[in-house]
Amino acid sequence: MKSLHAEFDALRRRFPPGFEPSLVLPCLRRIQEERGHVADADIDDLVAYLRVPRIRIEEVLSYYTQFRRAPIGRFHLQVCRNVACSMRGAEGVVAQIDERLGIAPGETTEDGRCTLSTVECLGSCGTAPVVVVNETYHENLTPERLDALIEGLAR
Amino acid sequence: MVEIFIDGDRVEAQEGQTVMQAARASGHVIPYFCWHPALSVPGNCRICMVEVEGDGTAAGWLDIACNMPVAKGMRVLTDSPRVRSRRKQMLQLVTLNHPVDCGICDKAGECTLQDYHYQYNGEPSVSRDVKVRATKHFPLSDRIVLDNERCIVCSRCVRFTREISKSDSLGIVNRGDHSLVRASEDGALGRDPYSDNVIDICPVGALLSRPFLHQARVWYLEPTPSVCPGCERGCTVQIWHRKREWKLNRLDAKLNARIERVTPLENAAVNGPWICNKGRDLAQLFDRPRALAPLVAGREVALDAAVDAARALIAAARRPVALVSSWASNEELAAFDRTIASRFTCRVKTDWLPLPGERVEDDVLIKADKNPNRTAAIARYPGSAFERPEAFPSGCDLVLVWGEGCRADALPAGARVVRMDAWLHPDNARADVFVPISVQTERSGHYTNFAGTVSRFEACFAKPDGVADAEALFASLAAAAMAEAT
Amino acid sequence: MTGRKLIMTFPVTADSHTLAAYRARGGYATIEKAVRGMRPDEVTKEVAASGLLGHGGAAFPAGRKWGVIKLNDEQPHYLCANADEGEPGTFKDRWILENAPHLLIEGMLIAAFALQVRHAFVYIRGEFDLPYRRIAGAVDEAYAAGWLGAPIAGSAFACDIVVYRGAGSYVCGEASGLLTSLEGRKGYPRNRPPRLTVRGLYQLPTVVNNVETLANIPGIVRDGAATFRSVGTAKSPGTQLISISGHVRKPGVYEVEYGYPFAKFLHDDCGGVLGGGKLKCVIPGGISTKVLTAAEIEPLTLDHASVAAAGSGLGSGGMVVIAEGTCMVRLLQVLVRFYHHESCGQCTPCREGMGWLHKIVDRIVAGEGELDDIDRLIAISHANDGTTICGMGDAAGYATVGILAKYRDEFEHWIVHGRSRHGGRLEAVGAEWALPETVDG
Repeated sequence: MKSLHAEFDALRRRFPPGFEPSLVLPCLRRIQEERGHVADADIDDLVAYLRVPRIRIEEVLSYYTQFRRAPIGRFHLQVCRNVACSMRGAEGVVAQIDERLGIAPGETTEDGRCTLSTVECLGSCGTAPVVVVNETYHENLTPERLDALIEGLAR
Repeated sequence: MVEIFIDGDRVEAQEGQTVMQAARASGHVIPYFCWHPALSVPGNCRICMVEVEGDGTAAGWLDIACNMPVAKGMRVLTDSPRVRSRRKQMLQLVTLNHPVDCGICDKAGECTLQDYHYQYNGEPSVSRDVKVRATKHFPLSDRIVLDNERCIVCSRCVRFTREISKSDSLGIVNRGDHSLVRASEDGALGRDPYSDNVIDICPVGALLSRPFLHQARVWYLEPTPSVCPGCERGCTVQIWHRKREWKLNRLDAKLNARIERVTPLENAAVNGPWICNKGRDLAQLFDRPRALAPLVAGREVALDAAVDAARALIAAARRPVALVSSWASNEELAAFDRTIASRFTCRVKTDWLPLPGERVEDDVLIKADKNPNRTAAIARYPGSAFERPEAFPSGCDLVLVWGEGCRADALPAGARVVRMDAWLHPDNARADVFVPISVQTERSGHYTNFAGTVSRFEACFAKPDGVADAEALFASLAAAAMAEAT
Repeated sequence: MTGRKLIMTFPVTADSHTLAAYRARGGYATIEKAVRGMRPDEVTKEVAASGLLGHGGAAFPAGRKWGVIKLNDEQPHYLCANADEGEPGTFKDRWILENAPHLLIEGMLIAAFALQVRHAFVYIRGEFDLPYRRIAGAVDEAYAAGWLGAPIAGSAFACDIVVYRGAGSYVCGEASGLLTSLEGRKGYPRNRPPRLTVRGLYQLPTVVNNVETLANIPGIVRDGAATFRSVGTAKSPGTQLISISGHVRKPGVYEVEYGYPFAKFLHDDCGGVLGGGKLKCVIPGGISTKVLTAAEIEPLTLDHASVAAAGSGLGSGGMVVIAEGTCMVRLLQVLVRFYHHESCGQCTPCREGMGWLHKIVDRIVAGEGELDDIDRLIAISHANDGTTICGMGDAAGYATVGILAKYRDEFEHWIVHGRSRHGGRLEAVGAEWALPETVDG
């Protein structure tokens, strides 16, 4: 993504010499922030800019859970399903989202607004159950607070 | 030197070696999937675990041998009860999700996993759960098909493209038991002229040759050592063909004289354990239509008649030129030299030039000269062949064209032509005399590569009836010369 | 009060994380003291003398790790703060990143000085949002004030810090997986040898320390090893930030002086069991430590030796409280599902074994288990014990055998009767999530 090259140049200067390959993760994150996902053309551009093998970027995109190569809904609801959250109602959270929005984990609402995923531990066990919407943590959820959160997304 | 003990044997290992290297160098067997002597050490299959005995103060421990540095006095056991138990566990896990495809898998009979299973485990699966499913028959490139269910994710193929062929064209996507070997989406694997080496080094039937797919069971085949004629590197290869005792009786007899596949013949002095894809495709080279009939002025004659006619032409010629094949073996060149060469102005010809799209040269194996034995030929005769009619010495009245790479219109108009070649071509009928000759796979001999290394090839097949060996042909032609001299 | 405090020594307010607030608390005076009056090896000696144990879970002596770095060897050294914090049940590094980011930075500066590091990194898990903004903001403040990027206190020492975000992978919290990720690749852990302190980031000597470990450094160098040792126990000097969650009334991060009694901690400081029920068991130090029954853990003190003697480990201090009535089969199901999801896939025992564990437990939960499945789970755990590239295989095994050792009967019950003894319950009795009626329903 050519518009980001100036930013990438500045980022590169913060790393020691020889660390160009390290830029793969931060550059992909920035591209995804701009586009919503990483497109094939973005991969070609990044390969040329960083001079890393294309397969390296394909592998990284497939390995990390936060990267995606296809668009999803405008709001990405990520529900933690690990120990503490499960013990504080995570399954109820998923059921309530399904009840209100009609989507199960892995699905997107018809209007393309909301995508639901279940994720592993978010480091928020003390404020379980937790839903992350895009980047933001919504902690200490109760059924009422979750309804308010969902309604807020509908507006 | 580091003194260690392996299974009680005293071994002098080198500084910096791993136990795996020291074991192999001293003839001790440690099984492995992911380790390879020419590749980096990933240490992921875990099958090479060995036991290091405690020394009284510390307890013994087990760890992978491929990443274990030798240490003075260490006592390694490669087959203790603990090692056997761990090895069996690891094999149970390697085969946990492995499909029992042996009945339809080309790797059967030369499969490391098969061999290790029977040697170190030998029991049915202990799992009652469904195996992981993945893509089967996945086209990795035009030449290579991948079965991800069989794949044990050892990463040999990935490391090969990263470290040896340097195409960086293979990787492993996803993670956990969803991991899949994949080729980069820009098609780089299809442009990697060494891609097929991953088929050899795959320890299971995951990576298979598409041309060879389901063509033959390997135990019906045998390899004959040979030398690839694709360039002056002269990689030693194994040419696989049906064993005589397994020849097909009812089907086309040509199937019994077919190159089924070509694999590297490991050679520390020339190509290591690798060859390029051109060598894999030798069947295409040797399978072209053969010239089978001797010709005089374009008419089929018996071999004797053709030899007589050639002999007469040579005797009568006043300024004969010989264009010597750069595919001639050392033996053929010697025979030529001691028989009739002195009658001719000899030049070594370039039989083959690089084809469009073919890699010309690199720093792995491929050399720009696409002829296997120019080195030996130019040791005897000058290398600059006459390539246009005008270039020939004036008064040239006979050209002996030996091998490919010289078309009829490149020859001087007034000269007579004696052509000796293996391949069917309209130019054969335009020669005054044409004698069909044998190819490399029909005789034994040697080539000398660009560095002066001499390698031997053996005969795989019988030559067709009516086709002459060049060495015998030269002897026959010489008989006249000697008679002339006396 | 849970004993003396070394880290959580100030009230958290709207700006207690800022540089100004940190300076007001005496911040950055210690790095000045170090570069002005100490040699790098003297700093390492002090840290070694303090007995500081790593806070990432392995409790390896920090000073001993630092001591492997060869000074003046004419090659770059790197320091990396491990802020990946992916161990389920653990969320204490997050507290430091959000509320005391400058404490981490000063700890890193002192470490960088001791280890002759010019470039240091904070590897922070990609999911962390506020913690990332706080530490990135603090790094910016430190640069603006000249603590980063420029020589400190007229010395030759200067250090740069780059905050590097992960992208969702638990094994990037394993030190070698972290570095491989920092190199822009999949977070594949590495075999040892070589140790990372010999060949780490881009094959150069690297120290990876947990955030909490580094946060302890300024205090040790400021007050000396002896003062540090006067807190906690002989074998576990200092404090631990305990993350407590699950069926507990007051979950959160508490700084606990090592040696503090567990029972007092849970029942007094943390409000006791959620819902008022009885304690069933506790996972003491992150899910990779073996579960301890109420009877086993109640008499213990919170330090490594005490918990180890009971057959488990304090690990990263991620304590998960489990009330009576919880189904341990379903609990294990959550854990093996996690390990299966997070396996990087490199090595045979973990790649194949995690999926196998998951399938077996799923099958038991679906009512299709057989009695010999239990021993199979134990065998798979054993096949992952000491055979894998990194500790995740072993961890999954410990979690599994730990639960099976204490609660085998629940598994047998489900297999024989086709259902959970506890109704498949994961929530505390009386504290269940209740789907509210829809407005128009």
